[in-house]
Amino acid sequence: MNYHPITRRESIKKILKISGGLALTGVITWPFQKTSLAWTGSNKKFIIEGIGQSHEYSVKVLARKVFEAAGGIQKFVSKQDVVVIKPNISWARPPYLAATTNPEVLEAVVELCQEAGAKKVRIADHTIHDARRCFAITGAGMVAKKTGADLVYPRSSLMRNMKLRGHRLDVWPVFLPLVEADKVINLPVAKVHSLSGLTLGMKNWIGAVGGRRSALHQDIHLTIVDLAQFFNPTITLIDATRIMVANGPSGGSRSDVAVSNRLILSDDPVAADAKAAGLFNFRPQDIGFIGLGEKWGLGTYEFQKLCQHKVIV
Amino acid sequence: MSQAFFLILFIFLLIESRLPQNIYLDYSIALNAEKNIELDYPVKYFFQLDPLIWITSLISGHQWIKGFGWALGIVVLTFFFGRIFCGFICPLGTLHHMVSYIRPALKKQNMIHANQKHPSQRFKYFLLILFLMAAFLGLNLTGLLDPMAFFFRSLSLAVFPGIGTGIKELLDLAAQSDIKILNYISYGGEVLVSPVFGYGYKAFKSAWFIGILFLFILFLNRIRPRFWCRTLCPLGALLGVFARFSMLRIEKHSEKCTDCNLCLQSCQGAASPVPGQEWDASECMFCFNCFNACPENAIVFKLGWPPEVSKKPDMGRRAVLGGLLAGLSFPLLGRLDGRLHKVSDARLIRPPGSLPEKDFLKLCQRCGLCMKVCPTNAINPALTEAGMAGFWTPNLIMSQGYCEYTCTLCSGVCPTGAIRNLSGKEKIETPVRIGSAYIDRGRCLPWSGNGPCIVCEEHCPTSPKAIRLRQETTRSPDGKAVNVKLPYVDLKNCVGCGICEYKCPVKGNPAILVISAGESRSVANQILLKL
Repeated sequence: MNYHPITRRESIKKILKISGGLALTGVITWPFQKTSLAWTGSNKKFIIEGIGQSHEYSVKVLARKVFEAAGGIQKFVSKQDVVVIKPNISWARPPYLAATTNPEVLEAVVELCQEAGAKKVRIADHTIHDARRCFAITGAGMVAKKTGADLVYPRSSLMRNMKLRGHRLDVWPVFLPLVEADKVINLPVAKVHSLSGLTLGMKNWIGAVGGRRSALHQDIHLTIVDLAQFFNPTITLIDATRIMVANGPSGGSRSDVAVSNRLILSDDPVAADAKAAGLFNFRPQDIGFIGLGEKWGLGTYEFQKLCQHKVIV
Repeated sequence: MSQAFFLILFIFLLIESRLPQNIYLDYSIALNAEKNIELDYPVKYFFQLDPLIWITSLISGHQWIKGFGWALGIVVLTFFFGRIFCGFICPLGTLHHMVSYIRPALKKQNMIHANQKHPSQRFKYFLLILFLMAAFLGLNLTGLLDPMAFFFRSLSLAVFPGIGTGIKELLDLAAQSDIKILNYISYGGEVLVSPVFGYGYKAFKSAWFIGILFLFILFLNRIRPRFWCRTLCPLGALLGVFARFSMLRIEKHSEKCTDCNLCLQSCQGAASPVPGQEWDASECMFCFNCFNACPENAIVFKLGWPPEVSKKPDMGRRAVLGGLLAGLSFPLLGRLDGRLHKVSDARLIRPPGSLPEKDFLKLCQRCGLCMKVCPTNAINPALTEAGMAGFWTPNLIMSQGYCEYTCTLCSGVCPTGAIRNLSGKEKIETPVRIGSAYIDRGRCLPWSGNGPCIVCEEHCPTSPKAIRLRQETTRSPDGKAVNVKLPYVDLKNCVGCGICEYKCPVKGNPAILVISAGESRSVANQILLKL
């Protein structure tokens, strides 16, 4: 029975425990979450760029160094937290095609959260292709198996209508685990996109909602900002170890991929995206949702003003 | 015992005909495109065991299909031991056996009467000859009534999805509840249920009819026990023909017989077990009911060597001639709609790797394996798209699912090779096209000036993309000039996967549609001079 590392009984137990824990922590921490964010807001925000320069550097080491530079993962994840990581594993494409988050980065972040004492680490994404194929082919399933993190299957009953209070979106079904988490880590991959220009951190939230997602493209920039405001992650780590420079967002060929060897970590979602836009030779303000993000007060695209660090491995 | 084993094995393999549950794939494997995701179990095993499928495929397709040595084994077994396949292995037979046995509808005399040999039992020979003859003329209709194909199709397209839909609706109801405990039950239930009944709501066109037909043949057991096996089953007929030289024979001791007719009352095959009548080797399914029922031990089964020739299977001239005539007519009539020789239905999109239509109809058993295994639920039984000849053959409905770019599950499970085995690499690099997309500009949001949308282009999986965008100015409905990106289909790159149609925000009748034109399997259906 190699194929079933988790038995049904275990998984039911797990799910019962999880959803119980979720509900409780969700209820308890809800009022505090806002205040803790307000507290970090008073600190100066930071942006850290990790660069892998040596010939055979380890992506995992780079991810660790980046978090160290930010003051350690403990700054963001407390003991007993339920942490939900939102990678971009939308496409059933193998990692080398750069359509999805690098599984090594994902693995490093899961491990860091576990070391910080997180009660539960969950990987959640509402995929575009069949979720089981995505889990298998992007390597997210492997990461979950190695680290013991939970992989949440985006079943329709986990999409719940919620009031987003956005400028464009009012009520929309959202992927429940992301709302019920104590801490949310956004782990997108940097790609080009035919309509929004780029797929970065804020756009990753389109993968956190249900419903008629394809209709969001009719006002893509504003809906991205609405969703980014609603989900408001604790921290954003953009995977730019390899970036898709053509044929985005699905790619499909090695020739669409460029090696960039970078990770960008920030607690300002707009700044993280702005910095990553530079990798594609875009001016941040030219990308609609980055400009709008600044306009609606999510952060600033002038990342130069933040507390900047550079980590080189 | 063996019946229960094979029935459970059949259902187990049926459940396993799905995308493997092993999502914990080592991503070092995923790193090279050579590796396919394959099923863990040989789900087509029961089809390889089926001599009728083997013989008709051999006749119509002139092909020795790999794996059908098993069927040959069954034929050899039948030569020596009669229709023991029916009594020991056939899962559908087991089901009928159970249904007939658990609560017999008829009492004593009525049952004895029902189990007398009846001329209607010749009907199965009619069907057998029809299928063989039709196969000879290049139309393989066997799967419509072959017990393996029938059972698999009924269970996987109607029974399981039906139950699954019911359970899922219940769980969704519980998930929406404000009572937390109900939510947990719902999540837990879904984890349990989904691997068996499928993720999400399944839909199969004409599944209601498949289901009703299945219930109907189960109901027939109340008229006569094992009605299907004795009057309808073409496989039973075929094995009955081979059973003539069986070594395993009934031995009747008339001197012990007290004419209690208990043997006849229990005989589900109406094979004349009563001492005094001549035993019908071709009707006997070796359930040994008569042997067990006889209080006087007047009936025994014995192995005899050398094999004796038993009574000829009672086909009747009418069944033979009728079968030949019908078998001659069906393939000819089936071609009159012109789909083979003139033009095929634009919406007849076959799974990737399907043979050219003519060869496809020679081999496809309409068993539903490809439909069951498709992870996006795109493959459906065709109703009219493929004409009468192609009733219930696989057809992709893109508004319901799509053909995932790297997925080759359906080609791997086809028991007869009507869909040839593809590797993911071959599918992408050849590329294997199943159709091509075109844009309905009247409905398309940007083309009709109703707003920006790039969803089809975004989802297009090929590299370079088959759907391209060009920044152009169109007029909105109120006459204003709007600058939007307009999608264009580049036929050179389009493989017809249909994800554009599936994801198009214009629901019901999407603004981008896939038609079979351009499919690799058909020379006549090509669009471009050279690709």
